[in-house]
Amino acid sequence: MSKHLLEVKDLKTYFYTDKGVVKAVDGVDFHIDAGKTLGIVGESGCGKSITSMSVMRLIQKPGKIESGEILYQGKNLLELSEDQMRSIRGNEISMIFQEPMTSLNPVFTIGYQISEALMLHQKLSKKEAREKAIEMLNLVQIPRAEKIVDEYPHQLSGGMRQRVMIAMALSCMPKILIADEPTTALDVTIQAQILNLMNDLKQRLNTAIMLITHDLGVVAEMADYVVVMYAGKVVEEGPVKELFANPKHPYTIGLLKSKPNLHEERERLDSIPGMVPNPIDLPKGCYFHPRCKYATDECRQGQPELKELNPKHKVSCFVASREVQK
Amino acid sequence: MENKPLLEVKNLKKYFPIYQGLARRKVGDVKAVDDVSFVLREGETLGLVGESGCGKSTTGRTILRLLNPTDGEVYYKGKDVFNASKKEMLALRQEMQIIFQDPYSSLNPRMSVGATVGEALIQHKMYKKGKELDDRIREILELCGLADYHINRYPHEFSGGQRQRIGIARALALQPSFVVADEPVSALDVSIQSQIINLLMELQEKMKLSYLFISHDLSVVKHISNRVGVMYLGSLVELSNKKDLYENPKHPYTQALLSAIPVPDPTVKRERILLQGDIPSPANPPKGCKFHTRCPYAKDICKQQVPEFRKLGDDHFVACHFAK
Repeated sequence: MSKHLLEVKDLKTYFYTDKGVVKAVDGVDFHIDAGKTLGIVGESGCGKSITSMSVMRLIQKPGKIESGEILYQGKNLLELSEDQMRSIRGNEISMIFQEPMTSLNPVFTIGYQISEALMLHQKLSKKEAREKAIEMLNLVQIPRAEKIVDEYPHQLSGGMRQRVMIAMALSCMPKILIADEPTTALDVTIQAQILNLMNDLKQRLNTAIMLITHDLGVVAEMADYVVVMYAGKVVEEGPVKELFANPKHPYTIGLLKSKPNLHEERERLDSIPGMVPNPIDLPKGCYFHPRCKYATDECRQGQPELKELNPKHKVSCFVASREVQK
Repeated sequence: MENKPLLEVKNLKKYFPIYQGLARRKVGDVKAVDDVSFVLREGETLGLVGESGCGKSTTGRTILRLLNPTDGEVYYKGKDVFNASKKEMLALRQEMQIIFQDPYSSLNPRMSVGATVGEALIQHKMYKKGKELDDRIREILELCGLADYHINRYPHEFSGGQRQRIGIARALALQPSFVVADEPVSALDVSIQSQIINLLMELQEKMKLSYLFISHDLSVVKHISNRVGVMYLGSLVELSNKKDLYENPKHPYTQALLSAIPVPDPTVKRERILLQGDIPSPANPPKGCKFHTRCPYAKDICKQQVPEFRKLGDDHFVACHFAK
């Protein structure tokens, strides 16, 4: 029995395309505890969404989970049958997606879509499920819940739809909520409402949240522990305060510095030169070395491992590890 | 900084009619831009911020006459843009350009980079097809951080950041003096965003450009702008120099907007002003002050009277009954 609610060990998810193998997730480890928020940060194509889809076992061909373990309360999800997985998906681990516009079904009412999971997993009757759906809509602070329950997604605004998504995801009281860029498509004032709501619900229901985002501001505000990904690998991880105060990996440092800050004046933004490498044709050595200003020969040859700098902070960089040893 | 006004926008309005029923009778208007006035000075960057649907992009496009205005006046270097003849407009277009938000859909996939950037040069009869044109295109590409061998490539061969550079090259090919940048970095990753922002600022210095920089990202706008205007439901609610606006916002909406941005620093715990509800529909905006339905300080007067766009201090304008 593992002591964490969810523990992912050496997860590898590859996609077999005509042009070659894409190692979308390449040996990722992390864990989540009840009532905590894990932030996974990275830019497009770094494998953060594929990581979350792997946890839900939603990877479709040509993708495949190559190896690794996903231990949920000690059970390896990768060894479960499809039926067993269905009883976990949406029930104990559920997910909200980035696009509230496209992830709701336009031809069913809001109430039906929330009830569906309740009738399937909790074996509620139609009437009970409807009542529970209204209760959930109230929980996510949707006004006129009794009316909204019979409305269709197109009648709602983006922020409201995202609330419906959250209501749906939380309807079976999952232990883990995976939120994949939950506020990226929303305006800032609406984003603030949704983040507030998620924090509030986390505290009330003791749900663990796996928050996937590219927005460092959102992570700083929401997460307890942060994992930074680049090209399918974890490059740095640590508790949120430690990581933001003391970033060690050149990529993390670059990300933090390239964002204009409201409370700081700067003439020029620091930027990371170049772009994210093509996942089919990754550079030799450390994947970040072509964009890194500290790169040495060592970085061009071998791949750094994720090493502990101190018991809390891990980084995968030759240069950063060496500095600490000195 | 020079203070000569380059662009003057007076009472700009852009309504989109709503038709309904079999007879397609007009039943109302979406008031996308509703009485917006401001001045853009030479060499400066005016940031225009607001949430989706507030009319910031429509403002930018209407100024360039990419959309026909409903009402109002725009003067560019003293010339009346909306009443310019076809010939005059052609000359004006050389000086007023636009960079679009989406680097994927704003480039023609069947035109090479050279053709995309060179099209305007030929159209405006500045160059004829040939070596001179190619040299000029290469020069512009290099200025925008692309390589000269990119000239014969097609958009699909480029990443998002590079495509945005092509879009910038296309806008700058005619050596304009005024550029509307409509969310130029919103579709890009953080590390690429900063490259493009730096490029835009370098080019501004080199080419003496003035920007109308439209964005929903307040931190980006703060970095690049000299002055900032905040829009809500088609109207400007606050306009000020950058320092005053960010340090001392007067309008409740600006205050809420600023407090809503997540700060990448976990040690900062701020008092957040949470706005209730959603933005009302611009087809049916609230009476009186448009913000009163979400404003934490709204009083009776706000429901009835439209607040005047008042001057409060140097270069600071606010549309609120109670702002001091």
